[in-house]
Order: sequence, then C-alpha cells, then structure tokens
Amino acid sequence: MKRYLILEDGSVYEGEAFGAQEVTTGEVVFTTGMTGYQEAITDQSYANQILTFTNPLIGNYGVNLDDCESLQPHCKGVICREVARVSSNWRQQETLPKFLEQMGIPGLKGIDTRALTKKLRVHGTMKGSLINSMDDYEHAFDQLKATVINKDIVSQVSTSKPYPNPGSKRNVVLVDFGVKHSILRELAERNCNTIVLPSSATAEEILQLHPDGVLLSNGPGDPKDVPHAIEMCRQIQEKLPLFGICLGHQIFCLANGADTYHMKFGHRGFNHPVREIATGRIAFTSQNHGYAVEPDSLKDTDLIVTHQEINDGTIEGVRHKYYPAFSVQFHPDAAPGPHDAVDLFDDFMDAMDKRKEEQNA
Amino acid sequence: MAKEIIDAMAMKRALTRMTYEIIEKNKGIEDIALVGIKTRGIYLAERIAQRLEQLEDKKVPVGVLDISLYRDDRHDLTTKKDPVVKESQFGFDITDKHVILVDDVLFTGRTVRAALDAIMDQGRPKSINLAVLVDRGHRELPIRADFVGKNVPTSLKEQISVKVEELDGQDGIFLKALKTE
Repeated sequence: MKRYLILEDGSVYEGEAFGAQEVTTGEVVFTTGMTGYQEAITDQSYANQILTFTNPLIGNYGVNLDDCESLQPHCKGVICREVARVSSNWRQQETLPKFLEQMGIPGLKGIDTRALTKKLRVHGTMKGSLINSMDDYEHAFDQLKATVINKDIVSQVSTSKPYPNPGSKRNVVLVDFGVKHSILRELAERNCNTIVLPSSATAEEILQLHPDGVLLSNGPGDPKDVPHAIEMCRQIQEKLPLFGICLGHQIFCLANGADTYHMKFGHRGFNHPVREIATGRIAFTSQNHGYAVEPDSLKDTDLIVTHQEINDGTIEGVRHKYYPAFSVQFHPDAAPGPHDAVDLFDDFMDAMDKRKEEQNA
Repeated sequence: MAKEIIDAMAMKRALTRMTYEIIEKNKGIEDIALVGIKTRGIYLAERIAQRLEQLEDKKVPVGVLDISLYRDDRHDLTTKKDPVVKESQFGFDITDKHVILVDDVLFTGRTVRAALDAIMDQGRPKSINLAVLVDRGHRELPIRADFVGKNVPTSLKEQISVKVEELDGQDGIFLKALKTE
C-alpha cells in the first residue's frame, strides 16, 4: 500500500505504508541514532512529532517490552528508508511494524530520507502529514496548513496521578513532564524511593513529601508552555537538591531568568559530543531537544555553564552558583546511547547525601 | 598489595564536585585563594584552580605549603612527632582572602593544624576552609573538612594513598594493609 508524506512547503514524498493506518499530522524531525529506534519511538519527548530515522535500516532486531521508554508512545509517525523484512534477536517479542500497528502509529518506508533530512536541516523542522491517498491532496494540504500543533502536550503525556517507584534509600520526587522509563531505572538502580508527580505539582505538594531531592524529567515541547513548573522550580531550588534533564533543564534555566529559543532542527540522536567545561572531558551523549537555552541570556543569572555541545556550541548543562541545583540538556540515562554521562545521577545522589549529612550534623 | 578503591574517573568526578561546592559555598570565586599542602595537595589544588578558571574565567591564586611529617610515608599513629612546616611560598597576600586549604588525605588532623598556623603567620585571611579528597577518619584534633571528595572509613591498620597523574603517572585512591611487625 502506498503512503505519502506531505510537508507544509508543498513537497510530497511517496513511499510504502507500514504500521497503523491512521492519518496523522505532526512536526517532522530527524534522529541520527544508528540503533535504539524502539527507545526513540516510545520516548514521550517525541510527542506530536513525526520521527525520521537517518539510519537507512531499522527494525532489524524487533521490539521488546523491556526497552520501552513509556507505556503509550505519543509519537505521531515513523519514517525510514527501509524496514527489515526479517527481524531477529533473542529478546525480541514483536516486530516493529506489528508494534507500531498496536500503538496506532503509522509508518512510511522507502522514501529518500537523506533528501528529507537535508531539507529539514536547511529549512528547519516543518509540519507534515502522513496520508494514505493523494486523491484529496488539496484538502489534506489545506488541513496541514491549518493545523496548529497542540501547545499543551506536557499535560497530555504526564501522569495524571502520583505513583511510587519504591526503593529503600533516598527519597526522590520526580516531576513527570513525559518521563522516560530509563530515568526511573537509573534511580531504581541507585536504590531511590521515587515518587512520581504529575507535571502540575506545586512546590508545597513536593515539600509535603519531604524528599531528599527533586528531579525534573524530560518532556516534549516548549518549556514556556509550562509556566507553573517554572514557578515551582524557583521555589524548590532554594530548599532541595535539584536535578533537571532535558525539558527539566530548560525549566530550571527559565526559573533563573535565562531564556530559551526554538532551534532550527534540534539535536536528536545518540552521538552528540558534549564538553564538560570544568575538566575538558568529552562525553558522547544521547539527546533529544528542539529547544535550547540562549547563551547570552545566562550572563546576568546565577547560573554557570557546565556543559557545551562541541558541534554548534549549544548550552548543554548549567549549575546554580548558590544552590546544589544543576541540569543537563542531554540524557544521562542514555537509553539508548553511550553511557558516558551516567555519573551525573551519582552527582545527584552525592548532593542529596551531603544535604542529609548537613542536616544531621 | 594496594587495592584501588577509587579509580581515576571517580577521582576526577569528586574533584569536579568539590569545585562546584566551593563555588556554591563562597557564592562565586571572588577573593578565593587555594593553598595546597605538600606534594599531592598542591596538584589537587592546581586542578581545582584549573576547573574554577574554566568555569568562571578567572584565575585563582594557588599557594604552596610544604609540611613534612617525621617520615613522609608513615601516615600511621605510631608517629610520635608532629608535622613541621618546612617552607611556604604563597606569592600573594592572603590577608582578607577566603583561603581554601587543599590536601589529599585527612587523617589525625595534625598536618592541617600545622598548616593553619603557617597560614596565620602569613597574614589574616577572612576565612579558611578545608578541602580534602579523602577523609579517612581517626581525628585527634577538633578539625573537620568543609569539602570532602570521598569519606573512606578505615582501620588504623590500613594506609590510604592518593596517586596523581602528575607525580605517579596515574590517578586513583589506594588502600593498603600496613605491615604489622
């Protein structure tokens, strides 16, 4: 069956359909990771986005439940050059097309993903639609132009009720803006007793739980669309160790007076080199962000830059001068991706332990 | 055989974390001066200074204190003599500075006490803080570190040694059982 990708600039890509039958619209973005398609598709940060894989072949090792980053992915579509006809892995429980079908995500294969990526790099991310027939092309195109991408996606992907992820050592409150399960896994590995709160959590609600530290999770969209979280962060950072990841990082920066901007085509992939400024050490990181912190806006704030992308100089990590609060734009949980930066979770543990020690002293 | 308890990576990370804590505590790096104690403390102080400079784009002066124990390699409680200050080169005025004393291992606290005296002889700093990479316990004086890289509870029959790349060709913290004769 044929399927088409139409973009808001009028271009049409014709390919083969796989996955679900839905017609969808979203922001077309590309990811440069060579593996980890399952983690990317199930990552909530891709909510309302149509995901293009630059790697020419995906699906070759199937899908398994252990590597899912969320229970209900909100990604709007998957585009690739080729889907493996035969997938094989001892952990495989499902093939990729079957999985997409179950999750209601349409796929498009057999298009020139290199040309598409080049276009996105030149023009920036664009709105696009996956449609099943070209008969009503004019109509579909009008609809695409008229579509306003939903701004309030964080509340869409965040949990509606608090839930625990039990452990026995440190008490962590995680504010869910679209959390990847791998962040919870990293906390569980360090024996944290985690309580996950919805994105609407206020500072009072968090403090009532008497946590040792607060983690602001990753999430989709524009950090300025969650103003209540910015206020919450401002109050929390004075009282508790704070760690922000991805969207949580942008919220932390906004809370301290910095500004964010929409990047032309964002960083999505698992091979982004980041320099830790204090030591000069380079870490290869897993990233997924379409917004970033404006470097100039950091000048008059109490934040210091701790990490920077090498290719384009994007701010990738900051730290508060006066509080044990820090954040990174990339994903130290590395799912999928290089585990170079996973020790940031240990830094968060150290910050919590230190505060505990000081309180008990 | 010495056992590596903290590897090069974790040691670098601990130093970076201490650097951040120094910025946090001092609300920036205005008027900070680092003073490293004898061989390894100096290298650690220099590394912290380097990190501070990278982060804040400001040079932090590093002073050197040479304090020798009765025997440098005998970090055990059989040593009956107190550490003596051999030489101190600061090259800057420490008056009204926030001095951060840096050493590799905090043990009885006697070296730190000697260092405090030596610093006080040079001028009147606004404050003195202590940063150590390893706190191994067994204090004999009321001295406590403000910035600790790693707390390592030890027995008196053990010896902790910190290795630095500049001197020993590798980074790491090692634990060794002392020979008991």
